[in-house]
Amino acid sequence: METFLSIAVVLLPVAYLLVAVAYGFVFFSSHPTARRWSTPGLLATLGFHALYLIGLAVRWHQFPAATVSQALSVMAFAVAAVYAVVEWHGRERSTGFWLVGLVFFFQLLSALLGRPEPPDLARFKNALIGLHISLALLGYTGFAVAAGYSFLFLQLYRELKGGRFSTFFGKLPPLEILERMMLGAVTTGFLALTGAAISGAFWAERIFHSSWQHDPKILSTLAIWGLYAAVLLMRRLRRWQGRETAIACLAGLGAVLFSLVAVNFFFTDFHGFL
Amino acid sequence: MHATDSEKVEGPPLLLVGTDYRCAPIELRERIALSPREVEAVLVELLARPAVGEAFALSTCNRTEIYVSPRDENAAYRELLELLFLRRAPELAHPGRLFVHRNGEAARHLLSVASGLESMVLGEPEILGQVKQAGAIAEQVGSAGVLLRRLLRTAIATGGRARSDTAIASGAVSLGYAVVELARNVFRDLEDCRVLLLGAGETARLVARSLTERGAQKLTVANRSEERLRAFREEFPDVEPLPLAERLRALETADLVVATTGADEPLLVRRDLQQAMRSRGSRPLLVVDLGVPRNVDPAAGRIRNLFLQSIDSLENLIERNLKRRREEVPKVEEILERELARFLAWQRSLDAEPIIAELQRQAERIRRQELDGALARFPPETHEDLERMTRSLVRKILHHPSVRLRDPSAEDANSRLALVRELFQLGGDGESEPEA
Repeated sequence: METFLSIAVVLLPVAYLLVAVAYGFVFFSSHPTARRWSTPGLLATLGFHALYLIGLAVRWHQFPAATVSQALSVMAFAVAAVYAVVEWHGRERSTGFWLVGLVFFFQLLSALLGRPEPPDLARFKNALIGLHISLALLGYTGFAVAAGYSFLFLQLYRELKGGRFSTFFGKLPPLEILERMMLGAVTTGFLALTGAAISGAFWAERIFHSSWQHDPKILSTLAIWGLYAAVLLMRRLRRWQGRETAIACLAGLGAVLFSLVAVNFFFTDFHGFL
Repeated sequence: MHATDSEKVEGPPLLLVGTDYRCAPIELRERIALSPREVEAVLVELLARPAVGEAFALSTCNRTEIYVSPRDENAAYRELLELLFLRRAPELAHPGRLFVHRNGEAARHLLSVASGLESMVLGEPEILGQVKQAGAIAEQVGSAGVLLRRLLRTAIATGGRARSDTAIASGAVSLGYAVVELARNVFRDLEDCRVLLLGAGETARLVARSLTERGAQKLTVANRSEERLRAFREEFPDVEPLPLAERLRALETADLVVATTGADEPLLVRRDLQQAMRSRGSRPLLVVDLGVPRNVDPAAGRIRNLFLQSIDSLENLIERNLKRRREEVPKVEEILERELARFLAWQRSLDAEPIIAELQRQAERIRRQELDGALARFPPETHEDLERMTRSLVRKILHHPSVRLRDPSAEDANSRLALVRELFQLGGDGESEPEA
């Protein structure tokens, strides 16, 4: 098991990189071999990734999100799975390069931040905290997917506005679809993060009964929640349109990564596991 | 007529005589262009000539090409000139007006035509359908035999693969389709897209044609002249007509606006469009201004969620698409060469068929003679078994040599055929029909 896990840590980013390159060939040159192998390659890597996460859970007897590295790996898996469903449902692979590229980035970060022995956290065996972590990861995955679509939206928006058409043009889904996918992902992410915040607050109140509310991690997460709430509110009030929403989604992903990586490393003890 | 090395005959011969937009101006091309009925008549007439074994004709506005499998190449060439080219347009006798290709080069040319590499607009999609139609006519008349049927199948497959495996046909390269391409990059579905055309002239018709061909259903056309609106509706009966003065009302519900009038003043100013955008919520608006002078205030391009495209941006798009198509040419050529090699290998293998057939006939003759002499010495109930056994013996003995003789990849295929002829004393009269 140990050997499998150590090999998988190295192989997963490499595999995602290869799949992203294959999707890149599909996107930029419609290469027939890449078109044939990109989807099977992604599915095989997803299968391998699932085995890795199961392996982690079996090895450490807890949900594989006890460290930032593990959480990033779960997020990478979730983004890749979401993309695989989108590809299967929409029968189009033009966004694969960008989303699998994002998956590669998360998995690489996960490998770089990996610790040999994650802490054994008894609280991870609690049902409420299980719900909290699952919802939080679902929320972050939603925000990551939204950021992926936002990037593509802005690229296409810029080209249409400027009347200058690069390689991107004609290869992406239409602006309306990109906007709809971005909004769908943001809404899902926001609802999940709301659920995560509520379940987390209940759990913390029961365990700590103290000033957990002032922890930097809690504050940064609340700021992220507020940012996405503002995005959805501005959309609802029709004050913001696609472009503003997309910029906010990209900024939101930056905030999520800051909260996940920097805050955990430098500012918090209470929420150090994730 | 002299054959070059690349045109050396291997397998049944193939001859192509034709002209296209690069060799002959439209005045000559239109005189030799053939309607489907004329194609049938030409093919029937060609088949009646002893010099021609098989024939098929491809005739479009840009090319007229006749492919034949000749029994006598020089005679077939002369007859093609007399029957069609020089009879209808004697000027084609001038050097460079006609092209002649033989064998591999003729096959390569048809594959290249079907892939869109020879088209005036690189990669245009219609030519593949025209090749299919030409094949269907030849099939119907019965003028395409084993060789041309296979060549047509190969050409159609090559054209299909070129379009599916490369981007040779991707992206719009005409004004009408460029508008469609822009709309497809903004809206989910052209069917749900409300189109407002300002102007009812030739450009508006061109755009309307492209949009309706690609699924747009909700079209409104606004024009000052009622007469022009009526004329427009004769071609597009489902289009809703609108006096130009009411254009701002239609603007609120439109998703795509295409302005094509020759008006001196802008028909849509920034304020009008800003007003329309306010009532649209977050729905984007695509405005394509094809008017010269411009029909839409350029300052409107700064409005959020409104995408204003000028004639220049459409030209940028068309140029970019053409460049992309040009970059795909090597990939298409790779596919073409692969398919051509397969076809030529098959064509070469046809040389072996008459020899194999004769070898089988000779073996059967010997088997029959020996068996007839021997049967009297065996009881009658064993005759059937003997018949079966000897037949199986001959088949098994000849199986491997037949396979090897048919193998066109063998470098010494020709000398091998000659050796078999000599060893078995075969005449090589080619009586039998080649295998399909």
